[in-house]
Amino acid sequence: MTESKVVKDLMIDVFEYPHVPYWFTIKQAIMVIKKSLIETEKCFHPLAILIFDEKYNLLGTLTMKDIMRGLEPKFMRTPTEKAQVSEEESSLYLIWDTLFTKESKQLAEKPVGDIMVPAKFFVEPKDPITKAAYIMIFRDLGLLPVLDDKKKFVGLVRMIEIFDEISNAILKE
Amino acid sequence: MTSRNSHNISTTTLEQLNRQNYRKLYVQLYEKIRKKIEDKEWSVGFQIPTEKQLCEDFKVSRATVRSAISELVRQGYLTCQQGRGTFVSKKVISDKLTMFTTFGELFLEAEIGFSTDVLAQTIMMPVDDLADKLNISGDKHIIYIKRLRKVDNKPILIQETYIPFHICPPLLEEDVKKNSLFELLEKKYEIQITGVRNYIDVTYLDVDEGRLFDLSESSPALVLTQHFFSGETQIMYMRSIKRPNSFVFLIEFEKKIGDDRMNYKFSKL
Repeated sequence: MTESKVVKDLMIDVFEYPHVPYWFTIKQAIMVIKKSLIETEKCFHPLAILIFDEKYNLLGTLTMKDIMRGLEPKFMRTPTEKAQVSEEESSLYLIWDTLFTKESKQLAEKPVGDIMVPAKFFVEPKDPITKAAYIMIFRDLGLLPVLDDKKKFVGLVRMIEIFDEISNAILKE
Repeated sequence: MTSRNSHNISTTTLEQLNRQNYRKLYVQLYEKIRKKIEDKEWSVGFQIPTEKQLCEDFKVSRATVRSAISELVRQGYLTCQQGRGTFVSKKVISDKLTMFTTFGELFLEAEIGFSTDVLAQTIMMPVDDLADKLNISGDKHIIYIKRLRKVDNKPILIQETYIPFHICPPLLEEDVKKNSLFELLEKKYEIQITGVRNYIDVTYLDVDEGRLFDLSESSPALVLTQHFFSGETQIMYMRSIKRPNSFVFLIEFEKKIGDDRMNYKFSKL
């Protein structure tokens, strides 16, 4: 049953994901994603890299979506995170298209620390997977770090394993 | 010529390779064979066991045996004769001749008066040309260590070290402020450094390097890049930038009578 499973049962190794320090540029992060995930066909979801500080403390995560957002020309940025896109905005796509390569090349020199999603939420290996599921759903996270009782980063929980576990329980009933 | 049968290598005469050891199997095999040669147990002209025999004796793959043998050939311990076999070479190069200087002296690791700030000890992926420099694929994790060496509290050396994570995972948590990397690798983790390739060049400081040395960006500085090998595997890449006018590198060559190989000594003045 789902209730009996704990995070440790679903946790994956941190080395499944590429690691980069926060001072790497967005351009370098793109190269890492290409080399480590796309060229090796390790395209499991979410496609992400982990960002660390100088002492190997986890600072945050960076997905393809975060990178695309980081490369978006400034004037195109919407005031709210989840702005509605309407049909009338199609003309903006054209402007975006012309500016994308020019301004985005400059933006790609920014450090990844500026655009990562900070790691604020964690679970422990002995936590029930329902706790991990709750945090991931309500915080809109595809990847959740696991810290042990000494606050050491020991693994990751992904939505795909959580979904698989919960769906199995539902299908059984 | 000594016959092969009289010196048959077997599991009863040589202990098996340690599969829990961080050192690769072929490096362990290389060391065992080298020891036999250095101890004169296998004398000059001795025909060593076949690849097949070594595979069976040590329960390793043919690729492992070939790597060990080719390293011994490269270092002059063995010679391969087409269609005949592999023999102990007439001219054996001893370990001391190729690397007689201690690593502490050679690599500015244990100089008296150095103090060290560890600026980073973390993990990264190989970007730019780092994968080529370490001879690894682009999806391998790397331990990155950046240290600032000071004398009398004055920064004189910025040292960046890159080690493939799989070579020595515990190094990530070691105290590299107090301990020499070479001592950790060789003594604690038994990863023997058998070769090093040094390049000396001039570089221009970037913003961070200039700030660490309290010099302006683009100031010229000497850079020493080093590739370290254990057998044929590259285990580490190190880049050391020296503060201008702080010290000079000395490279001293020595040639022993009767030996065609040049040896060098490298130290700080």
